[in-house]
Amino acid sequence: MLIQGRVRSDVTLTKLPILYRRFTGTKTRGRTVMETTASKLAVQNLRKSFRSQRSEGSIQVFEGISFEVHPSEFISLVGPSGCGKTTFLRILDGLIPHDDGEILLDGKTVIKPGPDKGFVFQDSSLLPWRTVMDNIILGLELQGVDKREARKKAERYIALVGLAGFEHHYPHELSGGMQQRVNLARALIVDPQVLLMDEPFASLDAQTREIMQAELLKMWNQTKKTVIFVTHQIEEAIYLSDRVVVFSARPARIREIVKVAIPRPRSLSVKRSKEFLDLADHVWGIIQEEVLKSMGREREEGVW
Amino acid sequence: MKSAAKKEPLVPAWLRSSRMIGACSVIVGIGIWQLAYEGLARTHYFKDYAIHHFLSSPLQVILTFGELYRSGELLRHSYFSFLEFAYGFLLAIVVGIPIGFIMATLKKINYYLDPWVSCLYATPLVALAPIIMVWFGLGIVPNSLVVFLGAVFPILLNTYTGIKSVRENLVEVVRAFGGSPLQLFFKVMIPDATPAIITGIRLAVGRAVISVVVAELFGAEAGLGFMVYFYSQRFLPGPVFVGIVVLVVFGILSFLALEKIQGWLSPWYAYQLRREARGMEME
Repeated sequence: MLIQGRVRSDVTLTKLPILYRRFTGTKTRGRTVMETTASKLAVQNLRKSFRSQRSEGSIQVFEGISFEVHPSEFISLVGPSGCGKTTFLRILDGLIPHDDGEILLDGKTVIKPGPDKGFVFQDSSLLPWRTVMDNIILGLELQGVDKREARKKAERYIALVGLAGFEHHYPHELSGGMQQRVNLARALIVDPQVLLMDEPFASLDAQTREIMQAELLKMWNQTKKTVIFVTHQIEEAIYLSDRVVVFSARPARIREIVKVAIPRPRSLSVKRSKEFLDLADHVWGIIQEEVLKSMGREREEGVW
Repeated sequence: MKSAAKKEPLVPAWLRSSRMIGACSVIVGIGIWQLAYEGLARTHYFKDYAIHHFLSSPLQVILTFGELYRSGELLRHSYFSFLEFAYGFLLAIVVGIPIGFIMATLKKINYYLDPWVSCLYATPLVALAPIIMVWFGLGIVPNSLVVFLGAVFPILLNTYTGIKSVRENLVEVVRAFGGSPLQLFFKVMIPDATPAIITGIRLAVGRAVISVVVAELFGAEAGLGFMVYFYSQRFLPGPVFVGIVVLVVFGILSFLALEKIQGWLSPWYAYQLRREARGMEME
């Protein structure tokens, strides 16, 4: 085409029906598996590889990932950068397919995205032509809920994330922290079974991030959602979570699942306690090891 | 000693806005034109000739405008030109936007249409207009067709680019909530492509005005382009300038109106442009 230089992405409607069919499943693989444990979300032996662009063959992103998440548990995923944490979260949501293994949410196989999972995006990804209110009701609207009814319901969530008075503002009139609050409310309003959060505070400044962490815990306490939280910040992971899942370098496996026994409610001052710092040191040690390992491997492969 | 802050500025504040400066610039330009005319008319060179066969002054343009208006001639020509513009332009919108959508969303169809669009876009309209006259004769229909050909490509290509550059992260939000392809189309793709489409329509206005004149130069029984040509052949620059001024004013007004419509339909877009100009990404 003539103006191809300006093309930002290659979204075409041609792909959509195919993707849609894949996710809604004309060939549905969905089968109910009776779970004996009371886990909310179970990941069994998950594997994912991407086709390599440079050479023949494929790049293994992760393999053999298995763990279980209890109802109302707060789980964080950390790991060296590029280990595929975000890819993993997208697979949990059903946004991209995986190669092997199974994801069970309430005993049902996850094959497509849907309102049973709430995804909080790293960049807030708010629709710029919609007000705060209309951004928040997007999920309900897509389910066919009446707009007036949805707006009424949204008021509760606007209050929950502390955005009262900003209902009719547009995203560009909000600060980064406020945009992420909208992002969070948008995921919460569909009342998902599990909340998947992809480094939601990564682009915020340090102070805003601390405040948002404390607020997130408050909201989590009120809603009792099961949360899977991807971050590259070890302190953030420990402060928020019941357990921290530490990924290894690529191809990622679970190195360790660290239990955080610090009692709740946690104030921000917890971050300076000895217990907290010891945990952080421990997790940091694992990740450092992994980073060095992957750097060594890259040197051997001549990448570095 | 007087402080600098207390000094009265040479130009008062209300005169220093960009709009006032622009207006002053135009007024001064027209003044220079009038003076130059008066000066030239008194030179030796024009002494024996009637300068009004070669040049016109702003004052004469205004007087001629009044005459043409009163006689109804100006309205008649404007009416024909406007009809040609409106038919051709509306047809360009009605045809250009859907084809742009289709080309951006259906790759296979794009393969077939792309070379045709590229060729037709590159074809000079001036070369195409005469043959259209041969086929369709004189009148509003062939001229509207020329306007359509002039205006359709900016609209089509901008629609294409607009849809192609819909932000992937916004598409993903709708997918994450389990939205259908139709919902995706109406709730993300169309709104996100709207500024680009309107930009295309704005570019098309300029081309459509040019096309009206081109079509009428090659053959017409009425219209502003016809009027301009007719009077220039008779060495009467007054009506020629009147025609040009009317065309310019019409072009500027429609361009500004569309700018308003763009701001009204996508108020977020101006903000995004500013962000991008500052070198930051919206995402």
